Amino acid sequence: MSEHMQLSLALCRIGLYTCFRALCCKGPPPPRPEYDVVCVGLTGAGKTSLLSHLCSEGSDHIVPTTGFSIKAVPFPNAILNVKELGGADNIKKYWSRYYQGSQGVVFVLDSASSDEDLEAARNELHSALQHPQLCTLPFLILANHQDKPAARTPNQIKKYFELEPLARGKRWILEGSSTDNMEAVKESFGQFISLLEDKDTEPARI
Amino acid sequence: MKVQQGCNSSDMGIPVRTEEELRRNTVITPEDVLGLQKITKDYLCSPEENVHMIDFTRFKIRDMETGTVLFEITKPPTPAGGKKNCDPNAGRFVRYQFTPAFLLLRQVGATVEFTVGNTPINNFRMIERHYFRDQLLKSFDFEFGFCMPSSKNTCEHIYEFPALSEEIMREMILHPYETQSDSFYFVDNKLVMHNKADYSYSGGP
Repeated sequence: MSEHMQLSLALCRIGLYTCFRALCCKGPPPPRPEYDVVCVGLTGAGKTSLLSHLCSEGSDHIVPTTGFSIKAVPFPNAILNVKELGGADNIKKYWSRYYQGSQGVVFVLDSASSDEDLEAARNELHSALQHPQLCTLPFLILANHQDKPAARTPNQIKKYFELEPLARGKRWILEGSSTDNMEAVKESFGQFISLLEDKDTEPARI
Repeated sequence: MKVQQGCNSSDMGIPVRTEEELRRNTVITPEDVLGLQKITKDYLCSPEENVHMIDFTRFKIRDMETGTVLFEITKPPTPAGGKKNCDPNAGRFVRYQFTPAFLLLRQVGATVEFTVGNTPINNFRMIERHYFRDQLLKSFDFEFGFCMPSSKNTCEHIYEFPALSEEIMREMILHPYETQSDSFYFVDNKLVMHNKADYSYSGGP
């Protein structure tokens, strides 16, 4: 009996809701534009953690990605369909299989890693910047783990990675990041989205 | 990777196909299932045809407007030397129970997690068709693309709910499990898996 009432109430609610929408001329909100981006970086850089935080998901269960992880990351004015790829050696060799169709690249690196790992990250970033399927796309480079004492500053990273000469003529943004400050991360992505939106304008540099 | 969302096969210029016709083929292609006009009576392939050892391990739905997780299910690990399940279709059918409020959602993010056997897959594609009483509500077409060998992959795609009339919504709520879906999975354009689901929106069992 109560189930019947529940159903009737639910139907009434739906009826009222659709009336409300019709009366107030409230159509569905305009859909946000979507962009397909690929997210790469060495294992441990923090790709999965950053993306999980952006989606307001907890980070206790995070383990190294052993394949791809496609996630729809919502922002106020866009949705990024991010294809995140694991960074372990046995997975890195498949990265280029996922480049086709990308409209932008997010590259995450551990600012506090060893010199050796930083050099490996630099090599990977340079490869990506020069890859035929990525070389004309906007890049968001996140110098992650800024909260760690051993972290190099974004300026140091920019210098070491030779971004000024190497990425000249390309559209890229380099920002420090840390999961401790997700507001700043969201702002960095906001700037990246502007690059994705303005495909024809002047390259922006930070 | 945008999800292609269409409705009627005729709108997309695809010839109408029947289940009986498809069963006569040795291979079933994406174009074949895009021509289906209603839910299939039975599975179009056997579990043995999943030669790539694709296994779905987790499924989650969240409301894109609020981020609220609406539903989540993880496949329990098979116990070592486990009993063989008496129902061969148990792993490929799910029954969903939602409240009527679910039909008011506009954008839902559905996350699927799956593992792949030790050979790479060149082109993995999913076509999912939702029907209410043999009326096609929505068709989703998603290309996962390349899958690395021995990988565990997750994919979330956004479902835009079709605009449903109040009348249809009412009928869907009053008639649980008459909303059904077929999920077809293809490797290199050949059907390898077929999952089914049905849905209740009445808020009860």
